[in-house]
Amino acid sequence: MKKPWGTLLIILTICSLIGLGIFSGRFLIYLTIRVMLLGIFALGYNLLLGRTGLLSFGHGAFYAAGAYGLGFFSLQVTGHPLLAIIVGVLAAVILALIIGFFCVRHTEIYFSMLTLAFGMMVFSLIWNLRGLTGGDDGLVGIMRETLSFFGLFKIPIKTDRQFYFLVLAFFLLSTWVVHRLQNSPFGLALAGIRENPNRSEFAGVDVKNYRLTVFVISGAFAGLAGALETLLESNARPFMAHWGHSAEPILVSLLGGLLSFTGPLVGSVFFIAMREIIQRFTENWMLWFGLVLLVVIMGFRGGVVGVIEGLAGKSQKNLKE
Amino acid sequence: MLQSIVHVILTGLSTGMFIWLVASGLTLIFGVLGVLNFAHGSFYMLGAYFCFTVLKYLGANFWLGILLGPLCVCAVGFFVERFFLRNVYHIALPYQLLLTFAFVLIFDDMVKMVWGAGSVSPPGLATLSGSIEILGRKFPVYNLFIIAVGPLVALGLWGMIEKTWWGRIIRAASSDREMAAAIGVRVPALFTSVFLLGTWLGAVGGGLAVPYVGILTSGMGEAIIIDAFIVAVIGGLGSLKGAFVVALIIGVLSAFGARFFPVFDMFLTFILMAVVLLWKPQGLFGGSK
Amino acid sequence: MGEVILEIKKLSNFFGQVCTATNLDLKIESGVLTSIIGPNGAGKSTLINLITGNLPVQSGTIYFKNRDITHLPIHKRVRLGVCRSFQIVNIFPELTVFENIMIPILTMAGRSRRFFTKTTQEQESRSRAAEVLEKVGLSNRKDTVANALSHGDQRLLEVGVALAVNPSLLFLDEPTAGMNPVERVRLLENIRQLSRDGRTTFVLVEHDMDIVFSLSDRVIVLHRGIILGDGNPEEIRRNKQVREVYLGDSVGTA
Repeated sequence: MKKPWGTLLIILTICSLIGLGIFSGRFLIYLTIRVMLLGIFALGYNLLLGRTGLLSFGHGAFYAAGAYGLGFFSLQVTGHPLLAIIVGVLAAVILALIIGFFCVRHTEIYFSMLTLAFGMMVFSLIWNLRGLTGGDDGLVGIMRETLSFFGLFKIPIKTDRQFYFLVLAFFLLSTWVVHRLQNSPFGLALAGIRENPNRSEFAGVDVKNYRLTVFVISGAFAGLAGALETLLESNARPFMAHWGHSAEPILVSLLGGLLSFTGPLVGSVFFIAMREIIQRFTENWMLWFGLVLLVVIMGFRGGVVGVIEGLAGKSQKNLKE
Repeated sequence: MLQSIVHVILTGLSTGMFIWLVASGLTLIFGVLGVLNFAHGSFYMLGAYFCFTVLKYLGANFWLGILLGPLCVCAVGFFVERFFLRNVYHIALPYQLLLTFAFVLIFDDMVKMVWGAGSVSPPGLATLSGSIEILGRKFPVYNLFIIAVGPLVALGLWGMIEKTWWGRIIRAASSDREMAAAIGVRVPALFTSVFLLGTWLGAVGGGLAVPYVGILTSGMGEAIIIDAFIVAVIGGLGSLKGAFVVALIIGVLSAFGARFFPVFDMFLTFILMAVVLLWKPQGLFGGSK
Repeated sequence: MGEVILEIKKLSNFFGQVCTATNLDLKIESGVLTSIIGPNGAGKSTLINLITGNLPVQSGTIYFKNRDITHLPIHKRVRLGVCRSFQIVNIFPELTVFENIMIPILTMAGRSRRFFTKTTQEQESRSRAAEVLEKVGLSNRKDTVANALSHGDQRLLEVGVALAVNPSLLFLDEPTAGMNPVERVRLLENIRQLSRDGRTTFVLVEHDMDIVFSLSDRVIVLHRGIILGDGNPEEIRRNKQVREVYLGDSVGTA
């Protein structure tokens, strides 16, 4: 393992992120927040896809649950950001438990199709229940109130720059949590389920149960990202639950490298950077993104991280399945 | 009242036939190749757009459009299968799905680039236009035509698969790829032919949709592909019979829903899929061909 | 020694028209190394699949240590102490040898639900995994990715993953198929040793008659889903019906 290199890189990254928050302009701050949100979403999602081998097309539903959960709580009860975020994440967890319970009993295609169905059902619900959810306008007017802990210290998050640091904190927390998870016995069992679910059963692993657990955990991260985005944009929208949005963490993880821990993070940076750059030149950024995807799948299935590892001379994992 | 019901059923049947046409290609490709082709909706869309182009520039002859349009799409399909899809058959599912998804992105934008981002309207067609009176209310002749085409296609497919030599080889190769190759079947070429047929079916669906929908947009692929997927899954992935039956059921149910309970429109197909899958994980006719 | 650890009553199984098990009654005693032999298609793998949970039971009952396990899911049976290895290598291909062994060990130790500890710090499990690797002779390969192993080593790993569960009753489905003589001898010695230790009762499915007759305390002969013969190796060797079946069919060694 690249121990000294790795730690150095981490420290450098954290310092850069902090420095970015202090010194750069508003646009870059906004963009970096979006990268971090996507990173949280994708990191949690990749626990399900890269680690456990389950392809869900419905995680947007949990993103939306976090968003609308925070929105409703903020508008109806109190705007205290941390409480509202917790409520959002809880909403996502509960929804993931319900949906996951039905989906994990199936595998492969049927699992994917069921998650698609449930995700789109949530989308339809949000879209159609105008009175409750605001329909295609979504929930609006969600304010970023000051963070206060029992009236003791007050941390304002009104400006994007201030909010950036809250997001950074959650981002670093999420990264740490997922990292610990992957290197835990639970993470190993998940890899086993991906590689060979039948043999995992014969190793004593209750596969359905573990699948449900990781499904809910990844849903929680989606909810966190959704809640944070709602605070960022002051707005929760139905499209968050649409399968087009659910596809984002998939693309991002693939781009970065499905089987690596940093894959989703690297992928998030690339995805947003590419989108920004391409959109400067042409309206048809989907075309270019599709082409990039094509290249990655046909030749570089390890994603960006795979390419880097290959260049660094490490043994690239054989990705034929 | 009876008049309403009959008309709703007929409308539902014609919608259902469209879904069947698209779903048939999807199911065929999945049943034999094991690939769920997200880009199938794009082939449907391309079928419509190519047909539209023929109509616009080669004279408004509907039959010519239906003939040439899908053939052009087959060329595209050949390109996709031969140079891309073929290389990922043996790789894990997520990569295959993402490959087809990449093509969705590409085709969607290409359509916008070639035909413009807005919508286009085909020239008015004389063939099969007009309406017929059924139970005192007018019903478009074209819809009746579609209701007739659907079963014809079903019969044609059934005939090809059950009764021809090609069909037999396909059935063999889809149940045991390696064995088929071992006895001399040129599996890659076979798979390409199946993919082309499936693509052609989707494109024909698109071409037939041109007079039906009246307006073409780059989002039309997305709209129908979800329905086609759901139908294919509920019917049992790989079962043509299942796709046919379920497409009709969904078409008719949607028509009833749209007419009498508009609120649940979007919901309906998804709930149905969830319910069926939870009760019968293989789909209604799953496991059969 | 000698107590009944597994009891099967009237076990039947049909695949459509084909009957792979007919009203089987069988008792396995703990500590008695048993071999199941029979021509191809006799129903040996089906029997193992039914007992271990890979196939649902259509009719009949299975008792393990006096507990009805007939309809228990696989992982619960494994937890109770029934496990198996596979005839075709069925491991975790992209994981290392060590990781392959760690999964069953951590799970059986009740530790694989731990989210927050690091696998590298699970000392007890790690040393037990090292022991298992020692037993199958893969210690010097512990960091190799499983699908990069030679076929013979993969078969050793296959058995290793099953042993790592530390079951009371272990079914080994043609464990030495494809191994070279050295590996074969070593593995069989280990099985003999472990069987004597008494913690695990072994049931082997085998085609190699030398192994069967030299290793087993008891031999069961299956033919077309029926038990044709059941006794110690000598009795089976002299059994007329068995000889007919085997002389009529060609016995392939895998």
